[in-house]
Amino acid sequence: MVKYSYYPGNVARQSSREVEDTIQPLCRSLGIELIEMVGYNGDGGNIIKQGNRDLQLALNARNLAIAMKNGHDIITPCASAQGILHDSLKTFRENPIALADANRVLEMTTGMTLDVSEITTNHLLHVLVDEIGLDKVEAAVVNPLDMDIACYYGPHMQIEGACGNDDAWNPSYMEQLITALGGRPVEYKTKTSSVGNPSLLSLGDSVMKMTARVLNDAKKAGAQVLVSACTQSHSNLDSYQGKAGRVSGKDTDIPVVNFTEIIAFALGHFTDRFAQLKTRAMLIGS
Amino acid sequence: MPTIAKVWIEEDCITCDACQDILPEVFEVTDDTSQIKADVREDGAFDRNTGLSAIKNEFRSEFSDLIEEAADACPVEIIKFEYEGGVAEEVAEEVAPAASEAVVAPVAVADAGADAGVLAGVLSGDRSLAIFFGSQTGNAAGLAEKTAKRAVAYGLEPTVIDMDGYDQAQFSSHKRILIITSTWGEGEMPDNADELWNATVAANPSLAGVHYSVCAIGDSSYDEFCKAGEDWDQKFASLGATSILEMKMCDVDFDEPWNEWVTEVLPRIACVDSSGVFHEDLVEAMIAYGAGDEDDEGADGDFNPPTIEQAPMSLTMRIFRYDPIKAQSGYDTIAVALPGHATIEDALVAIKREADGSLTFRSGSISGLNPLTGVKANGRILPADTTRISDLVSDGGTLTVEPLPGYEVLKDLMVSYDRYDDSRANSKPWLEADPRQGERLASGAPMGVMESAQATRLHALADVGSLQLVNAMSDTFDVDDVYSGPGIALQRWVRSQDPRSGNSHVKKMFELMQRKGGVWDEADISSIQRHGIDGSQAADSLYAARSRLLAEYKFTGKSGRLVKVYSRSVKMSGNVNETTLYRSVLGPLGLGSNIMNGVSLRMMLGFTRNGGPMMRGFQGMLVPPAGIGKIPDMFNSKVVNHHEVVAIFNELDRRF
Repeated sequence: MVKYSYYPGNVARQSSREVEDTIQPLCRSLGIELIEMVGYNGDGGNIIKQGNRDLQLALNARNLAIAMKNGHDIITPCASAQGILHDSLKTFRENPIALADANRVLEMTTGMTLDVSEITTNHLLHVLVDEIGLDKVEAAVVNPLDMDIACYYGPHMQIEGACGNDDAWNPSYMEQLITALGGRPVEYKTKTSSVGNPSLLSLGDSVMKMTARVLNDAKKAGAQVLVSACTQSHSNLDSYQGKAGRVSGKDTDIPVVNFTEIIAFALGHFTDRFAQLKTRAMLIGS
Repeated sequence: MPTIAKVWIEEDCITCDACQDILPEVFEVTDDTSQIKADVREDGAFDRNTGLSAIKNEFRSEFSDLIEEAADACPVEIIKFEYEGGVAEEVAEEVAPAASEAVVAPVAVADAGADAGVLAGVLSGDRSLAIFFGSQTGNAAGLAEKTAKRAVAYGLEPTVIDMDGYDQAQFSSHKRILIITSTWGEGEMPDNADELWNATVAANPSLAGVHYSVCAIGDSSYDEFCKAGEDWDQKFASLGATSILEMKMCDVDFDEPWNEWVTEVLPRIACVDSSGVFHEDLVEAMIAYGAGDEDDEGADGDFNPPTIEQAPMSLTMRIFRYDPIKAQSGYDTIAVALPGHATIEDALVAIKREADGSLTFRSGSISGLNPLTGVKANGRILPADTTRISDLVSDGGTLTVEPLPGYEVLKDLMVSYDRYDDSRANSKPWLEADPRQGERLASGAPMGVMESAQATRLHALADVGSLQLVNAMSDTFDVDDVYSGPGIALQRWVRSQDPRSGNSHVKKMFELMQRKGGVWDEADISSIQRHGIDGSQAADSLYAARSRLLAEYKFTGKSGRLVKVYSRSVKMSGNVNETTLYRSVLGPLGLGSNIMNGVSLRMMLGFTRNGGPMMRGFQGMLVPPAGIGKIPDMFNSKVVNHHEVVAIFNELDRRF
């Protein structure tokens, strides 16, 4: 059993409960034990950073320290969360003054201090490919996906050092994973482009156009389903896809699921939801 | 000095381009061989001139010296020439010293011979010298090559090695190492050295038995002057390597200090024998030997230019094409074979020359980075003239080259920068000082000038290669015609931070950043941040600008409300409360819009998603405020030890 400190991100236990529903059984199936990070806080979503960089850093220092106290590196299902945690850790590693400042506040407020040499942050995708191994994933498949699937990574974790051994600019881990799960990955251009999630509530048309660009590209490439490695961006891609289509004038109708869901389905969990998805893919997808 | 009447090329040309680089008016290198150009020949033909046609009279005196230089530089010695009066090259070489160096050359050769005897033990066996360069703009790489040329005179066999891709475990296989490195930004390693540095720090290989020296180039106006060189010097020492000469620190005018270093270090490191023992007592003899060897080399032209260790590569290039007349676009796919050090522009030039002369792109100059040569290459926004293909794709891979996003495409890869120019002209981010330079503050301090630390900070803020390219790094810039882009935002931010700027000008910069088209129009700064050093720099400036504007304008506007409500929400419970967020930021109109556009319905029903029990969606719809949907928890429960989160907020920012 591989153990990780589990950081759900900002929404997996809020509006995106389907992620929380599915990550637990899929990790059990693949021998990953998720250790609860008791008292974890929101990572600031790069929104708090706009008001006060040091504040977001300190909040993330607290999360990192909690994981360190657990004795296990962090795993998260959200690309945005992985990007923010990695960015904080990188800042602390490269800037001793920032680390010292954060540790001063952390010790004063929590009694903990952060040792950056003792912690790493990882997205579930990279743990599955780099550590668990696709052969083990493939062996655990119960219901092969058997669909044409486009993978969405977003930009947040597609930066050197934050995406395991995958190529930051032309990633392929999720496509490899989809293949191992019995699906057919579809290549399209904008799989690492932003859909503007941090500005979903503050900017209108441009965010909708960014969202539509990704959905339309995936659809034009022949995908029946879009799978998102970013729980935050999923909200744009799913709930806002009708609006994105109207604003942009592009065809955006395509089922969008979080990547924890699609893995759980293939591993035999939530067969009813999988059946729903396949039906929707047939009706809505390309 | 006799002039050259005839020049010709013998067989076995390796098409290295050296002759063409030195004298393109006479030599042209084709696929198979160098040729003598028609314009300079009496017979007007274009071939190797094995028929020995004479050079036109009007060119003889002008080109003679350079023809000799090209012949000397030819690695396979196949450029032959004949002086006027029929004296062949081989004869001329014996005659030339008699005419100009009759006294010096024989003495030097004799000394070299004597020294060679004394030095015989040191000069035998392994004579390899590894010269590593860490280079951001090419200066350190150029010095490495020049160092290698001079090392030959000391009986060394130099290899110039790009730090990029080098395996740290191989360091210990060398007995003699020279490192020439620049420092980038605030004391950082240049891009090509970063990976090797991190690997070395992580692995800490033993370097006992290695002799080394470091030449560091930098800019003394930075606090961390020559920091990268210092890091390597200290790291090598800590790993057990022996410094053969104290590190040399070179400022922006690096030629002279580099020359001092190389003059001193080469004879010393040449006295390290094949078993790795340094013979300090032989240094003087080695200096004399090197001097003699240098003269000898000048006499017979027997010099092999060093090679940079990068294997040739073959790849597939997909190039975006756009025909503005037919308004048609698509991609050309072409297989190319290139030298390992080729840049994107090199490849485009080769394709234009060999395959399609209509291919259009902006080309740079040979002297360095041109901010307008940007392209999108395998997703990255990069200058074509200085980006090596081997940094983007491996041998056998595919390189897709597209025009910069966000700008109007004129043809193929060439874009119009009018959008950038217009935004810049409208915002006038240049210096408008107020009051005038020369006046003094009440304290007596002069106005309109900056202290060194301020200048350094300001310089660092704006230290990006191309603001036009920074604009294209944004995923928002491409979809929002009103947005002036992060490059323009960066300029406005830098000018607002300039202590010489007048108050009214600073205020104007703030207003431009705050209003539509300014910094808040960037939908996702992460999309910029991942674009290397320049992207990271621009992202930092955007965050800093937003932070300043929030303070200046009291969190007004949707973006200001978002930051305030989001932060308060995290403070109140430890996690973001999306219900509060939607209600407070969108407001009644926004929520109404969501209902009208079907967003709320999708949230409720999980229309495309498979989000579990529908009751969760109903909960979001039915419990006030209606229309939120997809929000199962209307009220966040507080995280364990919530007081710690509150304490962090109170310690760092009491505005929330």
